[in-house]
Amino acid sequence: MTTVAEPLSARQPKKTKQDNTLLRIVKSPKFARLLFPIAVLVVWYASIEIIRAIWPFAVDVLPTPTETVSAMWDELIDPFVEGTQAATRENLYATFARSLGRLGLGFAISMVLGTIIGLAMGLSKAADAFFHDWTMALLAMPALAWALFGSLVFGFGTAGPVFTVVAAGIPFVIINVREGVRNTPIELFDMARAFGVPQNRTTRHVLLPSLMPFMFAAVRYAFSIGWKGLVIAEVFGGQNGAGWTIKFWYDAHRAHAVVGYAFFFIIFALFLEKFVFDRMAERVFKWRPSAVEIVEEGFEDQSDLVESARADYGAIGAATALTEIGIVRESEQDG
Amino acid sequence: MTIRVDEQPSAALVTEEELAKEARRKELISRWFWRILSYVVVLGLWEFVSGRVLEEALLPGPIRVVQTFGDIWATGKMPSAFQATLTRIVIGFGLSFIIGAVIGIISQNKWWEAFFKDAVIIGLTAPGLIWALITAIIFGNRWYGPVIAIILTTFALVTVNVSEGVKAIPKDLMDMGRAFKVPLLEQNRHIVIPHLAPFLFTGLRFGFSIAWKVTVLTEVFSSSEGIGFEMRTSSQLFQMDEFLTWILAFFLFALFLEKVVLQAFERRYFSWRREVTSA
Repeated sequence: MTTVAEPLSARQPKKTKQDNTLLRIVKSPKFARLLFPIAVLVVWYASIEIIRAIWPFAVDVLPTPTETVSAMWDELIDPFVEGTQAATRENLYATFARSLGRLGLGFAISMVLGTIIGLAMGLSKAADAFFHDWTMALLAMPALAWALFGSLVFGFGTAGPVFTVVAAGIPFVIINVREGVRNTPIELFDMARAFGVPQNRTTRHVLLPSLMPFMFAAVRYAFSIGWKGLVIAEVFGGQNGAGWTIKFWYDAHRAHAVVGYAFFFIIFALFLEKFVFDRMAERVFKWRPSAVEIVEEGFEDQSDLVESARADYGAIGAATALTEIGIVRESEQDG
Repeated sequence: MTIRVDEQPSAALVTEEELAKEARRKELISRWFWRILSYVVVLGLWEFVSGRVLEEALLPGPIRVVQTFGDIWATGKMPSAFQATLTRIVIGFGLSFIIGAVIGIISQNKWWEAFFKDAVIIGLTAPGLIWALITAIIFGNRWYGPVIAIILTTFALVTVNVSEGVKAIPKDLMDMGRAFKVPLLEQNRHIVIPHLAPFLFTGLRFGFSIAWKVTVLTEVFSSSEGIGFEMRTSSQLFQMDEFLTWILAFFLFALFLEKVVLQAFERRYFSWRREVTSA
């Protein structure tokens, strides 16, 4: 009796254990994350097949994944096949380098101007009243308006796109710097004064660290909003650059090349987020005691920022701060 | 005697209050002074630059723009353009809001959160331009091209706001719901959704402001009506005064929606939590 029961009971748990490992793999978040691109591919193929079945004329327009990948590959190997001097347009690397240069220039200008105006607004009520409405007006403007305006005023070339980057990014710098100045701990300044700490050490050890999260948010925002504005400006007022090139494929009516180039845009933006800004965040916030505290402090800072930004700038300002929380959360999960 | 004792502090209080009021009044006056000065300086500079530094064809002054605004308004083109744009936004952003909120709510589950993580990251980082171009090349100028572009650009913003709210859901209430075996749907209806309402609203406002800009962009590529189309046309015809007029119209309308419509909406649906917010 017992001899019969024993192998049975021994077999039973073994089987469930195997089931469990499979189930655990399927149920794990990592599997879900891997599943997403596969699901996208399946939906992509399936929708093309369905549309082909219903409406046979669409065949040429619809980009299939294989066509898209081969278009991307052609772009990637371009310099090794044709050399760097292409007759009609620059290759992928030169294009993105050029766009990045414009983005960097516009970003630097908007950081400098925005920091000056933001500091003035944070320190003086008169300056705040002076610039407040116009900052809001800049925030509400679509990048398209700046892009078209820049292309008309400055002509085709570099000035229009750079102008668009500055105009699109500067309100975010102003808001963040202003909030940063307002959130500096006054008690610490009072204490520094009471203990006779020299001015430059106060600036270095009190003002800069408390401004840092806000400056960082400003950098991140000016960069990502500037990038989105830049590509639009290059479509209308560029002679080269990433936005111009995707419009080139659009005008040539190559849907797969447009989608492939869009993937390069996404990869470029993700690269900046993951490898540039996350690294920078690590470095800038090194002085903070521990990872947990970074997140918590980030939340405190940001929730204040959300409140005051909402009070002053309505939805756009509040969400500026909110999305920043999202980024803090992201890095918390990864780290 | 008691009266005199009572009188003295009250008199002091009055003067203190008056002083505070006086200070507040002074601050308000100085604030308005600087504000009006800023309008005078900026508009004056604009008027001065136009025709002197830059040619008037390149940068028409504010007076000219206001005149053109009146002219275009008189032709009756403006309301129909706004109507076309607004319809597109309402359909596109309405769907996007629902999709984004649903993804945010089911992201309570770790599995679904991981599944949609890359979609949300891409939705946040990808420029609206690529969706506008891709949908324009695939769907031509059918009405659902711009709608899909709006959805792809804005759903992630709603999702981020909602999932922030989801992470801050009161755990004790959820635990109690689970302990008393409240069905999942009921839990969502009575705990999750009321708690999420302010986050949903923030998502609505922010998403709307982005949807607005993307819609104008899609109209440039795949539409023959709407504000974006009018901007594109006037810039192609090099009519800078008309172009600036459309920007002005866009701006006024956005301001109206933000300050009047959405705030009225907020007052109406959040009147039940007025006390909480004021405290």
